[in-house]
Amino acid sequence: MPHATARADAARAVVFSPLEGAGRAELVEQRLTDAIASGVLRDGERLPSEADLAKFLGVAPVTAREALVALRHKGLVRTRRGRDGGSFVTYDDDLSLRLTEERVRALSRIELRDLSLHYAAIAGMAAEVAADRASDDDLQSLVEIDARADLATPGGARRAVGRFQLEVAAISQSPRLVHEELRLQAETGALLWMCLREQEYRDRTREHRLDVIAAIRAADAASARRATTTCIGTAVEWLIDEKVRLEAALPPSIAHEEGSAP
Amino acid sequence: MTQALATGAAAIARRIADVIDPVFALIDGWQQRMEARLAPEPEPRAADLDPAVAATVAAELDRPGTLITGAGFVAAPGYLADAPWHLAWWLSDGNPFRGVPARGIRRLDAVSDPDAESFRDYTTLEWWRVPERTGSRHLTGPYVDYLCTDDYTVTVTTPVTIDGDMVGLVGADMYVARLEQVLEPVLRDAGRTLTVVNASGRIVTSTDPHRATGALLRLDGLPDALAPLREAEAEGRVTAAVRLPDGADVVPCGDTSLALVAE
Repeated sequence: MPHATARADAARAVVFSPLEGAGRAELVEQRLTDAIASGVLRDGERLPSEADLAKFLGVAPVTAREALVALRHKGLVRTRRGRDGGSFVTYDDDLSLRLTEERVRALSRIELRDLSLHYAAIAGMAAEVAADRASDDDLQSLVEIDARADLATPGGARRAVGRFQLEVAAISQSPRLVHEELRLQAETGALLWMCLREQEYRDRTREHRLDVIAAIRAADAASARRATTTCIGTAVEWLIDEKVRLEAALPPSIAHEEGSAP
Repeated sequence: MTQALATGAAAIARRIADVIDPVFALIDGWQQRMEARLAPEPEPRAADLDPAVAATVAAELDRPGTLITGAGFVAAPGYLADAPWHLAWWLSDGNPFRGVPARGIRRLDAVSDPDAESFRDYTTLEWWRVPERTGSRHLTGPYVDYLCTDDYTVTVTTPVTIDGDMVGLVGADMYVARLEQVLEPVLRDAGRTLTVVNASGRIVTSTDPHRATGALLRLDGLPDALAPLREAEAEGRVTAAVRLPDGADVVPCGDTSLALVAE
């Protein structure tokens, strides 16, 4: 039954899924920052209330409040009082760029590759199993997700990737793969799919998506896995190039300091 | 000999239907109660209806040994005066996937504001679309229920109709793992490999432990043999058993839209 809400926008549903581990305000803040900077949450969109946010993410209301305050300071949300009040997303190109760049610099190449390997293990296996288990209806829903993809914007392309990957996981019929897919999308999606800023990569992800659909249609498990992991590999290589570019642009001392942060 | 085996499969198919029939009967009972309650209402309101729905489904969701894990009423768009889009759905708070035992029920959080980003027009989804088209009960799944419980689920829905108009539907969710548990004794000791599939040929459970639940059963001629099942479900009628080219019998399990494949 909950399909009703989940299928609406998987990438968005992921943003408001429970946080793993200790519910720290920094984690809530990171999750929402990623979602705003990557365009999963849209400019002007109203965030859930403090109480709802706390409930969805499985943290204390005071933690949710703390995170919202931090987002406000960063300039990522603004708060309106009154009857139609609440916290609203404010998207700013320059700010988003800066925030995601900070994120890339904070992780080492080893960490970035490791993260993409972990994700490829989950998504690749899901695609492999989905190729064996997809019914005609399942295929149809993949085709529809692709057809609805908005490739003109980074956020649109991100949402399409998120939806598609989650649907593939759902078609694998494995609750654990779905669970991991959701968790990894929430944790690493904004970082991993940063290449979708560029139109060329938005088009390339679409090509990969069509390859995955063709492989699933042909019940070709090996090709479905390969197309999926190739797509993720392409994304992480872009990310590492980006990291090199960013570090080259910084004075050496700062680059070193930020690069060694966890 | 073949005839005797086929008869055996038919008897088992009947027993499978008997396991699921109480859930169908339950949902049919809710349907009648909803129709009786809503028919005289000049302007039905969610605010009045929700407590009644909760009370109705809570009794079953709380019952030890129940097969269902979620249940409720979903309104046709525009039917309720105070809630154009409305899901009144409750979930049993236990979650076997995360090792949480049952402890009361909670309401499903659904987005009912059509202007919200995450709003989804539920009338396009299988569990609504099919009963709306056919006017009768439909079994959706098995599928991974990924927003609420992260579990592998089957959903049964049946329309609530007043003066020929569908005003909503009632339904229930069942965990496939629980279903497998109750079907296993029914399938035992048959002498043939028995596999329960849905109308798409997806395996619900099998006496062959290496047949995975959720996989498609790939047998020559099976998709064709199952096609009438999908049509028949619409009319609530039972289709005839079919023999596949390799000798397997495909026997519908009553009007559940599930079929038993005996090899």
